[in-house]
Amino acid sequence: MKKSYEKILIVAGLFFGMLLLSGGAIASEDKFPSKPINVIVPFAAGGSTDLLARAVEKVWPKYSSQPFVVINRPGGGGVTGTEVVVRSKPDGYTIYLGYGSGHDMVMPHLQKLPYDTFKDLVPVARLSIHSIVIVTGAASPFKTLPEMVAWAKKENKPLTAAVSTRAGSVDITLTSLGKAAGINIVTVPFAGGAEAVTALAGGHLTIGGGHPSEVIPHIKAGRFRALAVATPERDPALPDLPTMKEVGVNIANWGSIKGIAAPAGTPPAVIAYYETTLKKVFDDPEFKKMMADLYQPLQYQNAADFGRFLREASADYAKLIKDLNISLK
Amino acid sequence: MDIFDGLIGGFSVALTPTNILVAFLGCLLGTAVGVLPGLGPAATIAMLLPTTYVIDSPVTAIILMAGIYYGSMYGGSTTSILLNLPGEAASVVTCIDGYKMAQKGRAGAALGIAAIGSFIAGTVAVVGLTFFAPPIAEFALKFGPPEKFTLALVGLLMAVTLSGSSIIKGMILLVLGLLIASVGLDPVSGKTRFSFGVTELQSGFDFVTLAMGVFGLGEIFYNLEKTLKTEIVTTKVGQVFPNIQDWVRSRMAILRGTAVGFFIGIIPGGGAVISSLVSYAMEKKVSKRPEEFGQGAIEGVAGPESANNAASSSSFIPLLTLGIPGNAAIAMIFAALLIKGITPGPFLIKENPDVFWGVIASMYLGNVMLLVLNLPLVGIWVQLLRVPYRILAPVVILFTAIGSYSIANQAFDIYALLGFGVLGYLLKKLNFEPGPLPLAFVLSPMIETSLRQSLLISGGSFSIFVTRPISGTLIALLTVLIIGQVLFSLRKRRKS
Repeated sequence: MKKSYEKILIVAGLFFGMLLLSGGAIASEDKFPSKPINVIVPFAAGGSTDLLARAVEKVWPKYSSQPFVVINRPGGGGVTGTEVVVRSKPDGYTIYLGYGSGHDMVMPHLQKLPYDTFKDLVPVARLSIHSIVIVTGAASPFKTLPEMVAWAKKENKPLTAAVSTRAGSVDITLTSLGKAAGINIVTVPFAGGAEAVTALAGGHLTIGGGHPSEVIPHIKAGRFRALAVATPERDPALPDLPTMKEVGVNIANWGSIKGIAAPAGTPPAVIAYYETTLKKVFDDPEFKKMMADLYQPLQYQNAADFGRFLREASADYAKLIKDLNISLK
Repeated sequence: MDIFDGLIGGFSVALTPTNILVAFLGCLLGTAVGVLPGLGPAATIAMLLPTTYVIDSPVTAIILMAGIYYGSMYGGSTTSILLNLPGEAASVVTCIDGYKMAQKGRAGAALGIAAIGSFIAGTVAVVGLTFFAPPIAEFALKFGPPEKFTLALVGLLMAVTLSGSSIIKGMILLVLGLLIASVGLDPVSGKTRFSFGVTELQSGFDFVTLAMGVFGLGEIFYNLEKTLKTEIVTTKVGQVFPNIQDWVRSRMAILRGTAVGFFIGIIPGGGAVISSLVSYAMEKKVSKRPEEFGQGAIEGVAGPESANNAASSSSFIPLLTLGIPGNAAIAMIFAALLIKGITPGPFLIKENPDVFWGVIASMYLGNVMLLVLNLPLVGIWVQLLRVPYRILAPVVILFTAIGSYSIANQAFDIYALLGFGVLGYLLKKLNFEPGPLPLAFVLSPMIETSLRQSLLISGGSFSIFVTRPISGTLIALLTVLIIGQVLFSLRKRRKS
């Protein structure tokens, strides 16, 4: 009997030893950055935000002494990973790439989040804006957006639409398109853009939406047909594709904004370090080429401008949601 | 002829000294990752992604990552067999008969047949990949939400068959697994469920933590109760390799497992797990000695291990021919290629034949390397069982704790691991075979998401599951299986 008590004690001791060790890592810090930077991407690998992060990760070592380590923490349409950043120490070693995505700009107007997108995060820089391209399968009976609207009205059946996440930027685009055009679009959420695109490629839904890096390969392969782009201006990666406004649907949105944020309370000197280093990355020819290959426009903004831009975009999304009376089912 | 020309070109790429070395490195790392609990192929590839940036040639980079991925499937069986510790979902099934074999002193045979089965399955799957990739990829696309739902349902039913004698106990564990999986964010709407305000619960439990707790720790806690019988195991480890009889019993299981794994592995999302389950259930059904399953039947190791290896090779098909990544590890490879300016998809074979054929050729090579690497390792792994239990058990606990901490860098997961260990201990005391629990946990998000997606598509009508050809066939098959099972057990009862 005594023997087995000893064993249990050893096991318990090991457990608590582990816990103590895990909390005890203290790093000495003098000049930022003195250790690798953890960059949380709240979406799955292979998606448009992840690819942007990978492009920065690749060029970053040219301009910084410490690596830019991309960590994918997908889940909850982006909320899970963002929350990790919000709850981490504001020392600049944990930052968030993807700030301005659907769960930052759209979701707060539709449901309660476990943090405040504006109060708990500080903007660092804007990197890119991913437009939203509305696509349909190559076999579908319509070729343009007006034809689609006419077809949906004639058939009088709901149009099923593949979107990357519920209450994300693609979801809001297609839902508002349905409301504005007076047709019933049922959005079906998937776990990220890649899965949504896969389901549409299999012909399981009628239409879908995605960012250029996700849909252009399939458009080129002849599997998808592009109908319109949802930003106010045409996307340079698809210069022949009209905007929704051009084809008579009078709505536009901000696309999916991709920037970097740090937890609130991060020292201004650290933010300034990121601003200047990222600017150097932006001017790097290798980075420019990669971004062109990934169909991602370069849209740098510094912290102050980016902060203003985000508030404006968020207010605009709030107005759109209110005007069209959109709610989560 | 095109295919042979392509393949010859591929070998000329794969057989350069650098690429041979890199393929070997990938296989070695993959084996290590498979053996270490908690560290999966996706996490490893993610960590190594920056090193691929400095490799100039995209083929070399993908050969390295592919090696890690399929190499980890070889290594995955090791801890399952030796320590009842499944490193990933696809090797849960291997624990059931593999660990029983180890307890009976037949760890060497189990490890050996897993390595041989993996080699055969891996190679056959690469042959399939070489000749039939494009048409098979089209088949994979046919699996939309309704098909995925019915497939996952088949998987769930198969999971019950793991529960040994009692169907009721299997069902209880199934429901428990589904319930534990529902903690955290709702996969469709993103709303939080059952978190009770605890931040760590918002992202739910992790599969690896659950499986290591319920299996590995549960076993250790259970063993604390009794005087340890490790001496008995160690005296019998002498025979290291499977004998002729083992081979005769396993060879058809390996072939069936390969076929099942190859086809189910193509389907994006969850292919490897379901294929190992289907293979296990299939072997139990066709076996002349079904009562041996759960007691250390070698077919129960050979079939599922072959299936998950075949699945890991065939999961490259949608990536290489359609540009569609089927799981987290493949998605990492996808991202790495895109960063290198290579777009996987229908044009890959034309635009970058060196990449397409180079990686395929390297997989032929990699499978041979893994066999050569793993067979001698069997002898070394078996020696692990000679380590006295009072040393082995704390080391296992240490590694599982590190493993679950490393998943999200949070101490909470170590407490969760401990909790699942207690659950595993209780299950063992109550004579439950825990297999269905982690499997229901893994299948739960797939079932829930695809069910809700299907109903959104159909406007709420359940007819979508029977009117579509693939899903309708699966439903019919399920119905026949269930009715058959009920009739069978009724007749058995009447007889006795």
